[in-house]
Amino acid sequence: MNTVRTLSVHKRPWSVVRTDHIATLVAIAYLAAALGVWLGLWADNWAEITGTMWADPSAAHWLGTNRLGQDILVRAVASTATAFEVGLAVALSSSIIGGLLGAVAGHFNGSPVDELILWLKGTIDAIPFYLLVVAIAFALQGHAMAMHLAMILAFWTTTARVVRAETIRIGQSGFIEAARAGGSTASRIIFRHLLPNLVHVLLVQATLVFVAAIKAEVVLSFLGIGLQDSISWGLMLAEAGQDIMAGQYMNFLVASLCLFGLVMAASLLADRLQDRLDPRTRHQRSVDIG
Amino acid sequence: MSFARAACAAIAAMLILAACDQPGSDGRDRVVYRHAIDGMPASLDPAHAANVYSSTLVVNLYDTLFRYRYLSRPYELAPNLASGMPEVSEDGLTWTIRLRENVRFADDPAFPDNRGREVTASDVVYSLGRHFDPATRSQGAWLWRGKITGLEEWIDGGADPDRRIPGLHAADDMTVVIELTEPYPQLAHTLAMALSAIVPREAVEHYGREFGVRPVGSGPFLLKQFDETRAVLKRNLDFDRGALDLAAEGHDPQRHAELGLGSLDGEAYPFIDRLEIHFIAEPTTRWNSFVAGEVDNVMVPPEQADRVLDSHDPLRFSPEIEQRYHTLAEPEAGFVLYGFNMANEDIGHHPDEQIDSANRALRCAMRQAFDWQERNDTFYQGLGQVFPGVIPPFLDAFDPALDAGSTARDPQQARSLLQAHEWTPETLPQLTYGLEASVHQRQMFEQFRARMSAVGIPQDRLRSRSFASFGDFSRAIANRELDLFLMGWTMAWPDAQYALQLFYGPNAAPGANSFNYDNPEFDRLFERAAALEEGEERTALYRQLNEMVIDDCVHIGSLSRTRLHLWHRHVRMLPDREMLGGYFLRFVDIGAAP
Repeated sequence: MNTVRTLSVHKRPWSVVRTDHIATLVAIAYLAAALGVWLGLWADNWAEITGTMWADPSAAHWLGTNRLGQDILVRAVASTATAFEVGLAVALSSSIIGGLLGAVAGHFNGSPVDELILWLKGTIDAIPFYLLVVAIAFALQGHAMAMHLAMILAFWTTTARVVRAETIRIGQSGFIEAARAGGSTASRIIFRHLLPNLVHVLLVQATLVFVAAIKAEVVLSFLGIGLQDSISWGLMLAEAGQDIMAGQYMNFLVASLCLFGLVMAASLLADRLQDRLDPRTRHQRSVDIG
Repeated sequence: MSFARAACAAIAAMLILAACDQPGSDGRDRVVYRHAIDGMPASLDPAHAANVYSSTLVVNLYDTLFRYRYLSRPYELAPNLASGMPEVSEDGLTWTIRLRENVRFADDPAFPDNRGREVTASDVVYSLGRHFDPATRSQGAWLWRGKITGLEEWIDGGADPDRRIPGLHAADDMTVVIELTEPYPQLAHTLAMALSAIVPREAVEHYGREFGVRPVGSGPFLLKQFDETRAVLKRNLDFDRGALDLAAEGHDPQRHAELGLGSLDGEAYPFIDRLEIHFIAEPTTRWNSFVAGEVDNVMVPPEQADRVLDSHDPLRFSPEIEQRYHTLAEPEAGFVLYGFNMANEDIGHHPDEQIDSANRALRCAMRQAFDWQERNDTFYQGLGQVFPGVIPPFLDAFDPALDAGSTARDPQQARSLLQAHEWTPETLPQLTYGLEASVHQRQMFEQFRARMSAVGIPQDRLRSRSFASFGDFSRAIANRELDLFLMGWTMAWPDAQYALQLFYGPNAAPGANSFNYDNPEFDRLFERAAALEEGEERTALYRQLNEMVIDDCVHIGSLSRTRLHLWHRHVRMLPDREMLGGYFLRFVDIGAAP
């Protein structure tokens, strides 16, 4: 007889951490780098000119300097904090908005409320992402949070779509029917019964959005429509475009590798989370194990 | 019409269009020159042609009364639409300019029967007068405002083109008379600027706001296509200025021997059938397009300078580059500088003398904190020339003996100034630094901020504000929204007055005085100098004005860049975009490709 192994909700995330040590270690290293920046322990002098133009790696500048004489390592570390700030802000906000609207749409499936949310989602999805960012940046007159707002506006729709589908599925369960029969209000059903059962979906979505937001920030900053008065790997790559013409590759290599490392680690963790927490893939996995 | 007929008509039309791109009727291949510039003009209306990008196109689509000789250096004026140089009365107040006959505007639907008519003196009067119509939103009105007799009254009366301007009128069909309120020796130079190009009233009224993209002129080329990436012009077959007189254009057989221009002497111009002007802002793309042969010229990006140069001092191209391309290294006829908004009482003029003095100290401290040589080395490969004030070295009025201390970095002095006037991180004003959204501009901002930070001006005191386009950036300066900005100033005529007018009070923003500098003594001396003919007295006044600007710490600067030009060997030309111009394009010829 086949044995189906299942994991409790509380144990699942931790088991993911243990199953992908390298990705976890890399993610922790990045998080530690970002924490250090936030706490002011290092890299707060990323804007200062501490060396000469395009200096080679040395004891004073481990990865050399850029065109202005700024330390490339310091700027790369400071950019880690930026990546986390953007990734976390966008992931959290879009998960909250997408989760709430998705749950409401799913609960009121087929009603005008559902239609309205679907229409809003469809309208936003119809606008090309980069066009949306430019439009919002223009509307906000270069406000520092323009890029964050644009990403939140663009990314909540995917979360909402997944949550809506899952809500419709759960809505047919006996315990929801029982709650309805018992006279529970819609808000009580959504907040007390539906959303707690959607945590796994939101967690996976948030991780995916986190990765997508970091990548989008780099692209937007590279294009000059992202961060305005800060430092990020995207800005470093944009600077590297000029450096490469002069035969200087360090800025490009460091920013690219930093981005690659974090995106790879976060993507691996997101995949593993999805494998473990998504009921469909979990079921498939359980059968395979069995 | 049946489908078959419609299809036949369409195919016939395509064949005709295709034939238009085949060799010319004289049997020779169509001669095409593809010119790359680093920006795109926002409008082709001469009234808006205040930058080099618009000027490059406008002076080739329209006629100006005068132009600069192709090869003469120092720059020298020559008649263009005018039949000769102006006749100026002894008191310098009355200018009489005669026009060439049989010069026609291009055929266009704006004219009856679509047939362009002859350019007359009334067109000159109309073209200059429309700068003062608020609806034109001219960027060149300041050139003539207050200088032409009765102009102010005419403007106050509604700037009606049907009413006569007392000091600007047509004596007959081919003669324009300009009466001035005071001598204005630079007037001829203003009439060589693209801003003064001659437009037909019919076209302005016919196209209205579209006139900026539907040019109707009498220049050597006609516009065929214009979009964000390029403008395509074709030769104006009605354009006839006779044969090219190379000697009169300043050709020196020895100095210009490499250019291969000799064979063009005595030939009618323009020599090319089609002129493509490619707008390529991104330096890497511009360079790659040139190397790939997609365009015929390139202004070498500073990052590439080391690849094409053998030596910086003396400046010498590498033999390989010399062998493969034509080369030209020349200082720009202009400069870059940082400017303060003197209208902001936090950093500029202040009615309270003590605060005014403290503000001046802060500006001077910021000037001493900045390192122009570092800027030169970082962004211009050390090829530029740093100089004090705003009179660049290529002008006669440049004073080589002027103390260069204002351009040298002196952090100690900067700190002393801040301390002496009790400036602390808490009392320092927050300043808005404007920039165009580009990597270069952002890095320049970071360099500036880092240097300020090194003398105790915290980074959060300088807030950057970026703009998507040069137009938006210029508008913000004109609206006095920025406290500090980096700007480039390209000379439109080779005289220090053109640089010093940046600080003339009545030119305050939205005029050329972007700094809103307001010094009655400066204005008085400037007006005196403006009325003087070239000579020692005028030069002395220019130098005095220059020192006033330095003493008041109105700006941080300046630096003249060195332009490196390369063009393919089979192109015969001397590409010179200085003096806000593109006049050389009418003299370009293409030889046999290697």
